[in-house]
Amino acid sequence: MKTRLLAFGFLSPALIAVFFFFLLPVLLTVVFAFTNMSTSTGIMGGAYQINETQMGSLRDTEVSPESIEKLEGAGYLISEAGLAALAEEFGEDTAEELRDDYLGETFAARRDLERVLRNLDDPIRNTRDRKAAADLFVSTVIGERFDTAEDFRAALVETGIDPADHDLLTEFAYTGWTWTTANFSLLAELPSTMRYASNTAFYVVCTLTFNILFGLFLAISTFYLPGRLANTFRAIWFLPRILPPVLYVLMWNWFTWDRGFIATVAGWFGAPQQNWMLHTSTHAWTAVILINGFVGASLGMILFSSAIKAIPTSMLYASEVDGANRWQQVRYIILPQMRWPILFMTSYQTLSLLTSFEYILLATDGGPGRSTEVWALAAYHTALNNYGGNLQYGLGAAYALALVFIGIALSILYLRFFNFKELLSKPRIEQ
Amino acid sequence: MELRLEKFTKAFGPVTVIQDMDLTVGSGEMMALLGPSGCGKSTTLFAICGIHKMTGGRLYFGDRDVTSVPAQQRSVGVVFQNYALYPHMTAEQNIGFPLKVMRQPKAEIAKEVQRLADLVQIGDLLDRRPAQLSGGQQQRVALARAMIRKPDVLLLDEPLANLDAKLRLEMRAEIRRIQRETGITAILVTHDQVEAMSMCDRIALMRDGKIVQLDTPERMYADPASQFVAGFLGNPPISFLPARAGEQLAIGQSQVLPRPAGLEVQGDIVLGIRPEHFGPQHGQGLHGEVIFVEPQGREELVDVQLDGGGILRAILPTGDPVKLGDRVNWGVSGGNILAFSTEGVRL
Repeated sequence: MKTRLLAFGFLSPALIAVFFFFLLPVLLTVVFAFTNMSTSTGIMGGAYQINETQMGSLRDTEVSPESIEKLEGAGYLISEAGLAALAEEFGEDTAEELRDDYLGETFAARRDLERVLRNLDDPIRNTRDRKAAADLFVSTVIGERFDTAEDFRAALVETGIDPADHDLLTEFAYTGWTWTTANFSLLAELPSTMRYASNTAFYVVCTLTFNILFGLFLAISTFYLPGRLANTFRAIWFLPRILPPVLYVLMWNWFTWDRGFIATVAGWFGAPQQNWMLHTSTHAWTAVILINGFVGASLGMILFSSAIKAIPTSMLYASEVDGANRWQQVRYIILPQMRWPILFMTSYQTLSLLTSFEYILLATDGGPGRSTEVWALAAYHTALNNYGGNLQYGLGAAYALALVFIGIALSILYLRFFNFKELLSKPRIEQ
Repeated sequence: MELRLEKFTKAFGPVTVIQDMDLTVGSGEMMALLGPSGCGKSTTLFAICGIHKMTGGRLYFGDRDVTSVPAQQRSVGVVFQNYALYPHMTAEQNIGFPLKVMRQPKAEIAKEVQRLADLVQIGDLLDRRPAQLSGGQQQRVALARAMIRKPDVLLLDEPLANLDAKLRLEMRAEIRRIQRETGITAILVTHDQVEAMSMCDRIALMRDGKIVQLDTPERMYADPASQFVAGFLGNPPISFLPARAGEQLAIGQSQVLPRPAGLEVQGDIVLGIRPEHFGPQHGQGLHGEVIFVEPQGREELVDVQLDGGGILRAILPTGDPVKLGDRVNWGVSGGNILAFSTEGVRL
């Protein structure tokens, strides 16, 4: 029992980290995905308010025209609330008199109410006071902020709006977020969804292929080079990975700029000056795949190199005296024994390529047009960097959630298909 | 096919491991490269099969100069110490691999694999992977793989080192049988003198990159060229005894042995006396005390501390009533005493 507690104690930092940095984000993503949160709704809840500018869109709803007219023309209403405020500021008598004569009456314009106030037995003489007093009876709902639905409904009642329209108006007036599944139906409807999905598939498949094949090529070719030369080569090819992404992509930008290296060299041969990264979507895809591919390939190279080195030398010697040339040695001896690292790289890179978008963001930002916009980047753009300024957290989370499920599905598939358990439990290379 | 190394030199960087070595292995002969670790025997083997390039000298298979021929085209079969079987292939694929890379037709490969599998007697294990085979079975697969191309030379690098004692005995006989049956020229690299003596026609005993003696096992045992050779061969090992040659051979402070015939030097020398040449069966002459008895089943090893200095080892049939602490007076077979100079040269 004690050791179990101790073990738990030692494990707790990891558990806490897993909870806060993995489970919680996923949970929040799930929660957000079922809301319409955005910059305008905020994430904390909201108030009830209908502004002048919204009147136009209010007419498009099913609220009756009479109610809308009333909302607009409500003007000033002698209400108990107003009277109470009046009593406090201008005396009980004035309020009492007004209640007796005018309770429930409305005035379209402030001028009319001011006239009434002046003509009271106990009038409010000062013009400015009268104005202030009149303002106490402003009844319009428009432009007014109500903290709760009850207050808003009470105001509607006071304004004398048909109760049939109350629900619709309350819903319309709510400024906070609500639970909804609209994000998913929207995703299903939008043509851009398919576009992003196919972009992602294309991007992952191409980059992955490039990663693995180029990583293998580098590992095998450096394996056959003499020691120091091989290390130098590996170090050079490892640069993309240790370089900060911003710097690395910046260099690519310079390289492909319309006055950059490629453009200049191509210019000598009469090619028109153009941005070699963003000229067409083909250019953009090539750049994106190469940028990500070199980074991934360098990791693959390191992993594959050490895997090759783990193959006993005598086995390679044996294949040589058995008559195998270099190519046959690679094909029959080295590659079959690289099954595990290749599978590992494939699954690891698939998952990381699906979710990472920083290099694309920095390089093309999904352009030109939306031709290199992948799913993760779309989620980012929707939720965190919208050109229009309204960040749609809910929709973005829905994008992300889809990615979470694809990731989990792929992981399970890989685990099953590659039988990771067996691969992990047995030594990789038997003697 | 005859194999001939001429003035073979091998250096790794600035370190010269082997200098101007000459070696000829006759056609169909099995030659042992024997020596302690680091003597250059494996280096020689790797140079012969082409894995290491020779720094100097020439190598001939028959009349063909193969010095600069790459390993792939050398027609050698090699059995490595750890067998170096390909773990992802079945025994059948392992054996057939050399033919596969020669792009031979499948039917031909299958036929040859069967022939070799029958030769090494693993016909029923062909569909297993190396991990599913015992050490001896792996050894047989490795042997079959090395022989399938009908190589000019078969090279065996410590082939028995990874086997347990019983299997080692069995494989020793097996390898020799297969080598005899096929008549292939073979070189066995080993540090185990028993293996070398029991399996090979001739032994090249190496030390520090040089061949110190090249002879048949019997002659090398009976007539070693140096103290090193005498000490390296024989189990239990030979005993060395400092002596002074005068009228007689003075041993230690007080004892003497008769001078063997043909010994002509005077002064300090070293005598080599094998355990079977010392004991009660050889009469009397040397007094001493038993300080160590090691039963080995069929026989016993007995160490005797001689009066006046020196230790001699004897091997006696079990049942001889010798106990620790017994005083003995045993003789030496005079004709079998080996004499060396204090530098270790045979006299």
